[in-house]
Amino acid sequence: MNVPISAYLILSLALLVLGLVGVMRRRNPLMLLLSVELMLNAGNVALIGFSRQWDDPSGQVFALVVMVIAAAEVVIGLGLVVSIFRSRTNLDVDELSSMKG
Amino acid sequence: MGEQITFAVAAIGALGFGIGVVFFRDAFRAAVSLIGTLLSVALLFVALYAPFAAAIQVIVYAGAIVVMFLFVIAYLGERGEITTFDRLDRWQVIGWLGVAGLGAFGAIAVLDSTAGPAETAPATTDVGSPASIGDAFLSGHLLAFEVTSLVLLVAAVGAVILAKSAVQGEGGR
Repeated sequence: MNVPISAYLILSLALLVLGLVGVMRRRNPLMLLLSVELMLNAGNVALIGFSRQWDDPSGQVFALVVMVIAAAEVVIGLGLVVSIFRSRTNLDVDELSSMKG
Repeated sequence: MGEQITFAVAAIGALGFGIGVVFFRDAFRAAVSLIGTLLSVALLFVALYAPFAAAIQVIVYAGAIVVMFLFVIAYLGERGEITTFDRLDRWQVIGWLGVAGLGAFGAIAVLDSTAGPAETAPATTDVGSPASIGDAFLSGHLLAFEVTSLVLLVAAVGAVILAKSAVQGEGGR
């Protein structure tokens, strides 16, 4: 392989930090979910890179499980966003205080 | 040489579209930008000899998940973000310190690590083929396979219950 594994890992780290910055900056719950997708993809790049380095399919199995978790998370997350924010005017997580003790 | 070009194109695409996801103000543009990132990551998977994972990435992520995002964005319509207060307030500093710390820790871990084979094994076996992945799933990772199906079932039931309560909240049955 011409490209070393560390190049893939650095790209994965950059994508993860980008997703973290998105989670910190955004207040729209949809944007938070998009940023989380970015972070999950960063993890997948690292997993498939390791799978290639060790020539072992386990890493790809992990990556596929992560994709399933991401799909389930998006289904539940978007369901919650729709059911909470359909009657509100502002799409902002800081507005949610109905469960505040 | 070919892999280097592919990696460069895919890396620039993933990071560029990722910056779009994080910094576009418009939710629709951010979601479309996410498609670019996902396709670039799929290109990386192809470069890593993982064609099956790349296909799943395109079908499940760029196909199903992003379409669901776009549907919800269109359903909720344009909503303003209020900027009068921020609940995190001064704790936000701690959050940003956490982000910077995690990034620095990851960079040190990647640049310092010497674990694993120095030279990547030649791609003699077809680890990325559906046959070998299915074999690994059903022999070594059977529990993960079963838990995965359970997670999908729970997510589907949860989505139905959420939708049902939302419909009831609007006076429907």
